[in-house]
Amino acid sequence: MTDARSGAGTAVTSTADRFLAERRRRRGGSLAFAAILIAAVAWSVDVTIVEDTDWERMGSLAKVLEAAGEFVGVDWGLLPDLAEPALETFMIACLGTLLGVLVCIPVTWFGALNITPFKPVTYPLARLMMTLSRSIHEIVWALFFVAVVGLGAMAGIFALAMRSVGFIAKMSAEAIEDIDPGPVEAIRAVGGNGFQVLLYAILPQVLPQILGVIVFEWEINIRRSAVLGLVGAGGLGLMFFRQMNTFNFPGVTTVLIAIFGIILIGEVVSHFARKAVI
Amino acid sequence: MAGGATSAAGAAPRDLRWSRYRFPESLYGYGAWIAVLAFLAFSVDYLDIPLARIPDMFHRMVVVIASRYYPPDVEYILDRDYLDYVVETIQMAYLGALFGLLMSVPLGWFSAFNMTPSRRFVYPVARLLTMGFRAVHEMIWAILFVSILGFGMLPGVLALTFFCAGFAGKLFAEEIEAIDMGPVEAMRATGANLFQVMVFGVFPQVRVAFTGIGIYTWDVAFRAATVVGFVGAGGMGWYLKRAVLQIEGERVAAIILSIVVLVLISEVVSAFARDRVMKMK
Repeated sequence: MTDARSGAGTAVTSTADRFLAERRRRRGGSLAFAAILIAAVAWSVDVTIVEDTDWERMGSLAKVLEAAGEFVGVDWGLLPDLAEPALETFMIACLGTLLGVLVCIPVTWFGALNITPFKPVTYPLARLMMTLSRSIHEIVWALFFVAVVGLGAMAGIFALAMRSVGFIAKMSAEAIEDIDPGPVEAIRAVGGNGFQVLLYAILPQVLPQILGVIVFEWEINIRRSAVLGLVGAGGLGLMFFRQMNTFNFPGVTTVLIAIFGIILIGEVVSHFARKAVI
Repeated sequence: MAGGATSAAGAAPRDLRWSRYRFPESLYGYGAWIAVLAFLAFSVDYLDIPLARIPDMFHRMVVVIASRYYPPDVEYILDRDYLDYVVETIQMAYLGALFGLLMSVPLGWFSAFNMTPSRRFVYPVARLLTMGFRAVHEMIWAILFVSILGFGMLPGVLALTFFCAGFAGKLFAEEIEAIDMGPVEAMRATGANLFQVMVFGVFPQVRVAFTGIGIYTWDVAFRAATVVGFVGAGGMGWYLKRAVLQIEGERVAAIILSIVVLVLISEVVSAFARDRVMKMK
């Protein structure tokens, strides 16, 4: 009896000791981690900001504020000219998302582990495609497509499509990997072929989630399409650079307000679309 | 059996077949889809998309890649100067992400509807700020800061800071809005002030999620950092721009290749970090 109790007692203390030791160890580890982090930050602040900046050219704080102050104000006269580019930007975003979704279908199919047709080849291929698509910035994609299809909205649409494939396909593939396998087996058991399994067992389970992701990506695409003008894809980006290059700083602010406006519209629409979907 | 069924049908002449949609809702759904499709068709027309050229495009793409970009100039990206710029890019990315995250914690707190100190004044302002930071693309931030501060890495870091603040701020706010209000009420009941409620009632609940969002923000910031140099804000984007302007396709290909490799590495690191965070839970 007493033996058993003392045995239990030592077990408890040793567990508590282990817990405390573990906690101490962790705390030490996180302290060291924090110290390294702070040192790294201090070093890179020194290298990137203090040494790299041309403080003389920038001048005093007053001069910086003066430069920033040039942007204050709105060029109302520009507003009517912005309607058309804003519409173009909005359309480029919509078509880019649509094309991205179309490209996504095979990529998702290949990239979801449980439905990929031939695992050793198609799965890595789809994963590579997803990473490529996400790691290359939309500006770089746009440069490439301008070289291929020439200046204009088409290059922008292709760039946005390629850029959105990665995210949509990745989220959709993950959603498909997480499905309940019951319905799949049920459709197989009644003799459904691969396509029927996809259509009746998998799609209904993941559709709301995928539609949500698409709406989310569409919202981001509106923001992205507003800068594609930098590489010649038209829209509000082009207006922005025109104002910037003619030093019409209030005009720049006006274009920014217009961008803000279409993004606001996009956010409202996506709010209702997401509500309708889910 | 069959007779019984017909008599039942006779007794109830209404169509008893089950349908997923009730009458008016089904109209709204299809109407919305048709409107979206019509808008897309209209935009193809409005933007003058040369649909006829699309089949030809794949051939052109192959030709362009093969003739201009194909053997990537690998020596160019192994150059010492270029590697220095890569290090700068990484520094810029994590400084931007870090400062952005620091900014986004108060932003997220103020723009979370359930925890904001004042729903009438602070909430809309914080909400508007978060949206504004997010609405402006990182390239536009970079251009604005370059025009105000001149070339260099400082405008790049600032551009990433603002972009990340908006990005993470929104996610933080959503995370805070989803917490369990029980601990918060308990803290309030014991007379804790706003700050104490935040530190002891809210942060323990969202700590893991915040870390995950922080890692995600780093990913996004790094991708953005590779191109903000395009407009003169430091980092390897400047090399990219130079190669593009000189029409040195093989160098462009090499630089893009290096970006892909770096992003892959950063993704492996952040996947590892995310795993660790999940275990912490």
